[in-house]
Amino acid sequence: MDECRRTAERVTPYVDGALPPGERREVEQHLQHCPPCARGAQEEQGARTVLRERADRLKAQPLPPGLRSRCEALAHEHSRVQAVRWWRLLVPATAIAVLLIFAGVLIFAVATRRSDTLLAAQLTADHVKCFEVFVPEKGADASEIEEELESKFGWDMHVPPSSSAAGITLLGGRRCLYADGSMPHVMYKAEGAEPVSLFRLEGVTRKAGEVTTLGHHCRIWSRGGNTYVLVLPKETSPGIARLARYVEREAR
Amino acid sequence: MVRRVRSTTGPADADAFAAEALGLLEPLFATALRLTRNRADAEDLVQDTYVKAFRFTDRFERGTNLKAWLYTILHNTWRNRRRDASRDTVEVDSDRVEQAATLADGPAALDTPERILLRDTLDADLQAALDELPAAFREAVWLRDVEEFSYAEIAGMLGVPIGTVMSRISRGRRLLFERLSAAAARPGVEIAGRR
Repeated sequence: MDECRRTAERVTPYVDGALPPGERREVEQHLQHCPPCARGAQEEQGARTVLRERADRLKAQPLPPGLRSRCEALAHEHSRVQAVRWWRLLVPATAIAVLLIFAGVLIFAVATRRSDTLLAAQLTADHVKCFEVFVPEKGADASEIEEELESKFGWDMHVPPSSSAAGITLLGGRRCLYADGSMPHVMYKAEGAEPVSLFRLEGVTRKAGEVTTLGHHCRIWSRGGNTYVLVLPKETSPGIARLARYVEREAR
Repeated sequence: MVRRVRSTTGPADADAFAAEALGLLEPLFATALRLTRNRADAEDLVQDTYVKAFRFTDRFERGTNLKAWLYTILHNTWRNRRRDASRDTVEVDSDRVEQAATLADGPAALDTPERILLRDTLDADLQAALDELPAAFREAVWLRDVEEFSYAEIAGMLGVPIGTVMSRISRGRRLLFERLSAAAARPGVEIAGRR
């Protein structure tokens, strides 16, 4: 029975021709003397063949009237906006230099200045944007995320893991768009599936504070020479408060 | 503190991106139709996908797979919609679901399953059989056997581990086979011009 279970785990890539030669031989050997498993493989093969044969016809659905022109209109709007953005950069080099320095100073200043509101607003906007475009659904493993943040971006961060007691599930970690990708952004969901984000500004210390902005609530604190920002839903509940305390305790 | 400015895409890039994205409208709609199982919702889903794709074009790394990126947005958007519509989580990945979903009567003894299915399955039967599959299996089988994405790409789109992807494909295919076999074995009036 163990062999049957092991074969079952590999029958799909076997049927797809995606198994390395050694494993392929093992599966074939088992199928040769196990009729139920062979039957299963045949059924998979059969369904796969029909689908692939008919794939083009399955994909050739008539489009609803107007859909194409509406999507083309979206594309034109996009191109127009991109063109405007692009043309704006065709300015004298000195002006570019001034802009760059200003942008750099602004980013740094935002991070170090007393203006919590500006910082919170920037990160909240990024939180909303990230959850719209990229949302992992299942829980992730904290040590895997830490490993990925470290190896890909060099961030040494302890990522608070999922905790049912605190009502929080870890979804993933990524590089934050804000400040040209210099910040780790860890994504969570609360018990009611509300998105929650944790950001970390490296090498910055500031006073703890709370800001409500853009329909969200942010908590800001510092620890070990870094500043953390937790983006939460605006409505505070005992559950959310418990979740926030957990993250503040765990993040480092 | 001033970092190197990310290279900007010019207007030509924007046009190329838009053209390539629009070129995927038909398969995107076909996929949306299988997900939503009704044309109006599929239309909304596809439009929303393009709205997001064009709004967040910066998030797409040029040179990577645009189709996979669009499909990921499509599936994420769909999942969010389903979650908002109903808070019930249906657990599909346990063994119990497969047993419950299997037909009560097993298929008749079929000698060459592939040949019979290929010959006898009507397009309408195939679509109906697909639509009857539990959503999780339907998505996985469609993405693999119709759209030919890799296991890893599908895992990213559905937000599940690769092992789960393979298991869903396996179960989806087998369920589909059983339904198609039952449809093909149905005694019925000879329909002129079948296929």
